[in-house]
Amino acid sequence: MNDVSLAFAQTRFNLRGFARDVSALTFTAIFPVILFLLFNAIFKGTTPYDGRNAPVATYYTASIVSYVIMLVSFGSLLSRVTTARERGLLKRFRGTPMPSWVYLVSEIGQTVTVVAATAALLVAVGALFYRVHLSGHVLVGLVVYLVLGVTCFSALALATTRICKTADAASAFGPLSATILAFLSGVFIPESIVPKWLLDIGQVFPLEHLARGLQSAFLVPGSNGLTATNLIVLAVWAVAGLVVAMRTFRWESLATGL
Amino acid sequence: MSAVVEVEDLHKSYGRVERLHGISFEVQAGEILGFLGVNGAGKTTTIEILEGYRPRDSGRILVLGLDPARAGREWRNRIGLVLQECELDPVYSVAETVTMFARYFEHPTDVAATIAAVGLSEKAGDRVGRLSGGQKRRLDVALGLVGNPEVLFLDEPTTGLDPVARREMWAMIEGLRDAGKTIFLTTHYMDEAQHLADRIIILRSGVIAAQGTAEELSTRLGYQTEVTFETFAGFEPERLALLLGAPLTTRDSLVRFRSDHVQDDLNRLLDWAQSEGVALVNLQAIQPTLDDVFVQLAGEEVPEAKESPS
Repeated sequence: MNDVSLAFAQTRFNLRGFARDVSALTFTAIFPVILFLLFNAIFKGTTPYDGRNAPVATYYTASIVSYVIMLVSFGSLLSRVTTARERGLLKRFRGTPMPSWVYLVSEIGQTVTVVAATAALLVAVGALFYRVHLSGHVLVGLVVYLVLGVTCFSALALATTRICKTADAASAFGPLSATILAFLSGVFIPESIVPKWLLDIGQVFPLEHLARGLQSAFLVPGSNGLTATNLIVLAVWAVAGLVVAMRTFRWESLATGL
Repeated sequence: MSAVVEVEDLHKSYGRVERLHGISFEVQAGEILGFLGVNGAGKTTTIEILEGYRPRDSGRILVLGLDPARAGREWRNRIGLVLQECELDPVYSVAETVTMFARYFEHPTDVAATIAAVGLSEKAGDRVGRLSGGQKRRLDVALGLVGNPEVLFLDEPTTGLDPVARREMWAMIEGLRDAGKTIFLTTHYMDEAQHLADRIIILRSGVIAAQGTAEELSTRLGYQTEVTFETFAGFEPERLALLLGAPLTTRDSLVRFRSDHVQDDLNRLLDWAQSEGVALVNLQAIQPTLDDVFVQLAGEEVPEAKESPS
């Protein structure tokens, strides 16, 4: 078996495990859909966006997709890798002939698959039940931001495994940071309502730019949302995360190891 | 026979604390080497250096002819590992877990045969999360074996297992020995080493305190048979000690002495009892077990380590 097919086999194996893990499945795939339905039940009509009124359901489709990207790529990945490290599995993998990159790629592969499936589910629910309009522009923006967002947050998750020394710490830090940033980034509550000083903080972090990009793709007619600022901020965070991860990543447990 | 593992003058420190003070030994093809020591003796440090997980400070090491610190993927295809702690993912079945691991290796063995070798055939379809502690540990061993390694490193395979699970693990390792596997086994149970290992190395505070077969260890180290009997009214230890030429101790109403020549000493003791007109109660001659040897060697009472170069 060559390494590329091994990476695919490991990804499929991971996904099979994910499908059997009820709590992971609920938290990463079902919970965002529930959030989407709740927000749509509470807020109706239109919301000001970029100087015009935009349908709330479309706004929340874009927003919750950005939240899913961070929740899964950052939160779940961080939790999975620290758990595997704490259990001694990373060390065990390291002792086999499997190259390290195959394991890491399989984790990213699992992340991309789960994000894409959940995003597709959200967009489908939006299109079928909330008259969310899809066009070529929207799909281009969606795919580009999905790929860039997963890359960025996965790199940050790997970088954070050094700070979150235990699986417990990781499983709290991931969802907590995603949820707090969601409020600072105009994801749960539209930016037109959130105080400016909160948004100023949010703008430092990548979620705001991911959310804004996706919202533009969905809400601004004829736009795919791909603006230089958003793309550059996401890319800078991605590179920073990768550099830190490559320098600090540890395969042995930090909770009990020497 | 050729050496699968060669270690010469291995040193390792953590910070300023020296953990291994220059140990040397070999593991020959087809043998099980029992690497015995209490916690903190340096067993895991040694095995992890051999497995390529830890760098050493100095010394010459060859595992399958290569330096573990530099060996690559080809070498990893030829060694099997069972780590001290590894909690496998509970959501996969036994067969799924072994099948996935088999894919990491270039020349894996048959998955079903490997599962059978560790006695888990009936559990092949069960989720890992449902296995008992002993079964999980045997699954770890299956993962160590599935790459068809030339040498298997087993780090404390029975620690934490109940007595029945330990016996099952032993039976399984005996099966591997009969199949001719080369195994480096660490343990802190002397009976385990005695039962499974062709040769035993006792490690104490980072030095080799003794090595040899189980029989060699118990005889070469000169541990004597202990003779005991119950004391009685009017017993005069000084006279008997003079007669036997050995010091007597009395504790909990039991008189005891150590003997190199049990038959002669027992004859003298019985003649003496006859002449004194007493019937000795609870007379016993006890051969020291290897456990006693180990406790004496591995514990701190031993003033000087008997380093015996192989």
